[in-house]
Amino acid sequence: MTPCPTCRAEATNPLVCTACGGLLSGDRAPTPFEVFGLVPALELDAAALKRRLLELSRRMHPDYFATADAATRELAERNTAELNLAYEVLADEPARADWLVKSLGGPDENQERKMPEAFLIEVLEWNEALEEARAADVGSSARAALANLARELGTRRDEALARLRAELEPTPERNSPRLVEARRQLNALRYVDRTLEEIRALEVGRPAART
Amino acid sequence: MGFLQLNVLNQPEPLPAVGIDLGTTNSLVAIWENGRPNVVRPEGDNGYVPSCVFFPTDGPPIVGKEARERAVFEPERTIFSIKRFMGRGLADVAADLKSMPFPASSGRNGVIEFDVRGRKLTPQEISALVLEKCGEVAARASGGRALAKAVITVPAYFDDAQRQATRDAARLAGIEVLRIVNEPTAASLAYGLDQKKQGNVAVYDLGGGTFDVSILAIEDGVFRVLATNGDTHLGGDDFDRMLVAVASTELSHSVDPRKLDEPAFLQGLRLAAEKCKIELSSYPEAEMHIQIPDSNAQWRRRFTREEFEALSRPLIERTLDSCRRALSDSKLDASQIDEVVLVGGVTRMPAVRAAVEQFFGRVPHTQLNPDEVVALGAAVQAHVLSGGTREVLLMDVTPLSLGLETVGGAMAKIILRNATIPCQATEGFTTYVDNQTAIDFNVLQGERELASDTRSLGRFRLSGIPPMPAGLARIAVRFHIDANGLLTVTAKEQSTGASAHIEVQPQNGLSEADVQRMLAAAYANAKDDFAARRVAELETELGTMLRATEKGLVDARSQLDRETILDIEDAMKSAREACSTRDAQVLQRARDAFEKATMPLAAVLMDNFAKKALTGKIIGEM
Repeated sequence: MTPCPTCRAEATNPLVCTACGGLLSGDRAPTPFEVFGLVPALELDAAALKRRLLELSRRMHPDYFATADAATRELAERNTAELNLAYEVLADEPARADWLVKSLGGPDENQERKMPEAFLIEVLEWNEALEEARAADVGSSARAALANLARELGTRRDEALARLRAELEPTPERNSPRLVEARRQLNALRYVDRTLEEIRALEVGRPAART
Repeated sequence: MGFLQLNVLNQPEPLPAVGIDLGTTNSLVAIWENGRPNVVRPEGDNGYVPSCVFFPTDGPPIVGKEARERAVFEPERTIFSIKRFMGRGLADVAADLKSMPFPASSGRNGVIEFDVRGRKLTPQEISALVLEKCGEVAARASGGRALAKAVITVPAYFDDAQRQATRDAARLAGIEVLRIVNEPTAASLAYGLDQKKQGNVAVYDLGGGTFDVSILAIEDGVFRVLATNGDTHLGGDDFDRMLVAVASTELSHSVDPRKLDEPAFLQGLRLAAEKCKIELSSYPEAEMHIQIPDSNAQWRRRFTREEFEALSRPLIERTLDSCRRALSDSKLDASQIDEVVLVGGVTRMPAVRAAVEQFFGRVPHTQLNPDEVVALGAAVQAHVLSGGTREVLLMDVTPLSLGLETVGGAMAKIILRNATIPCQATEGFTTYVDNQTAIDFNVLQGERELASDTRSLGRFRLSGIPPMPAGLARIAVRFHIDANGLLTVTAKEQSTGASAHIEVQPQNGLSEADVQRMLAAAYANAKDDFAARRVAELETELGTMLRATEKGLVDARSQLDRETILDIEDAMKSAREACSTRDAQVLQRARDAFEKATMPLAAVLMDNFAKKALTGKIIGEM
């Protein structure tokens, strides 16, 4: 990183100078790990990440630049948006893994979409259970069955996450074949999470159209 | 009255930034002073500005308390609850339009326009009148200092169009908006500072027209919203409407239904219902009554609290649905919520309190005044934004997902609901015919899959793309939701680095040109309006004082000595004379003298009132 243009201190963060508090603007958007000063890796201390988010927010949030000139206000908006985006990626394990796989030259979700047939059959069964529950009344057996399905999916999720960790820890080499397997686990996770989300939406009710 | 003097050389410093709660029913200003937020109250006034505008047959509109008083006699000239129309189209507000006394039509970009005595007025302009009144109240409380900068609160569940409309209203009122802050978040700030709390807090905010619930984590002065949910069309007005519906049904047996549908009558019914509702929060029974049109008779109906609660149950259930979604999105259980804070006048209803208590499994915190906590929190935020402190930080979220309409009519989400703001997303666009220089896209907000079930924020036209073969242009469009929750869209053609131009056709919103036109028109009228409005207000105030005094004298004459009575009668005479002068200074002097002369009478009346109340009489019957 280049030194801070204001105080010439060695920059330790790409968005804000931790020495003088000045906002920084680079040629390219920093990566999520750079924003938090971390070496890219799947394993991460969630509590420390949140502490760092609050600490960095306290340095660059637009609320603290409301009396500054328009360009500085705009930079505070932009850098805080970068910070929030980086946190969103890092705080969620599958999102973090997805970023790692892509940055290491692994396939994205469109390049590697093959799933074992047995798994796809299972997904179809989940969808059927969902459809049935959707058509049934609250309190019916079809609705009760969803609670069991949610528990089962919770276990499946843990298993997929464990396999994902096995592929990404320690962090693979660029273009390693382990990245393809990691992508498959991420795809499986996506199916599971989407179904879990649908179950949750059924439990809490759908938001109204045109709020 | 320093603020009446238009002496430029002698104008006092403007006020430091204030917080304004621009409510559906009432608006309120608060300011940071002596290390804490305080409601701005002129002497002898609680500072509340009813969000209510009265349009007399001639002269400028009257706003606030005076408007509300006049509304009782002339509901057909009064606009209530204008907030419900902000950033909406005609089709969105059909039910609210029924009790609106002025005809509405759809103007440019689908903005609602009310035809008020031949002049078209948008909700933004009417809200601006309420904000100007807030400025007057603040000036009156501060020796004439002008309100120049403010933090304005909006319901957390307000979408982009509703937020833009609020900001435009402030601009039309000549107020610089430092920040738009969500009402429940502002409330949490006032609560958190007051209690020096840490932990997870749920804010349940049921106001005059809108409902919000926000789940926050408070940690070392950082107030971080985890999730928010709500309904921008659910509030005290809807509870009133339950009583209005009963009245309409029962009255329809004896009164011509066309009479019942007249806006003036509906407006009167609404006021009667509101009064009955408020009484039912304190008493097990209350009476609703109204003059039957074209007759000398009154319609009277007793409601028990039980009956009213049964009528309102579906509305309360809808708020609990929102609570369930917010809690689910925050990934917390009700048992992990450390405190529940109630905001908004409707949370005084025992049934609402009980429902919230049952849902979260804990007794809600009710020490703070639910009508003032939002303005107080906004004042704290105004202090932060003015550079007053770095001890506090609000991290809020966008309430609704943002997306783009796909070719198939679906919504492709690019920013998810409850993302911490400011936030951004970048989407790549390209051309699909040779030498295409513009691309149109539709920006949506909402949670449903079909574009038609979501709300369009407007059509965006990306133009100025350098001519090149199809598919070669690489345009990066950046969607940025700022700390106000407002969207801005910028674009850049990546192969040439040219910044493409984005033109927005807002849906239900004012364009920059509209705002400039309105500002110019307002400036031309401002000076005349200002003096005339003060005259009208003083006349109204004197009228109210005269009526009250006449009635008071009948009740309490025997308790006053002869001299006092003569003083009062003198003051009444000069007050009536002052009313024909249309001179603000004469009126002001008469008003002040009148107030002084009637003080002994007021004391006697208060005393009588207290004695009666103590003997168990219901206030509503007096």
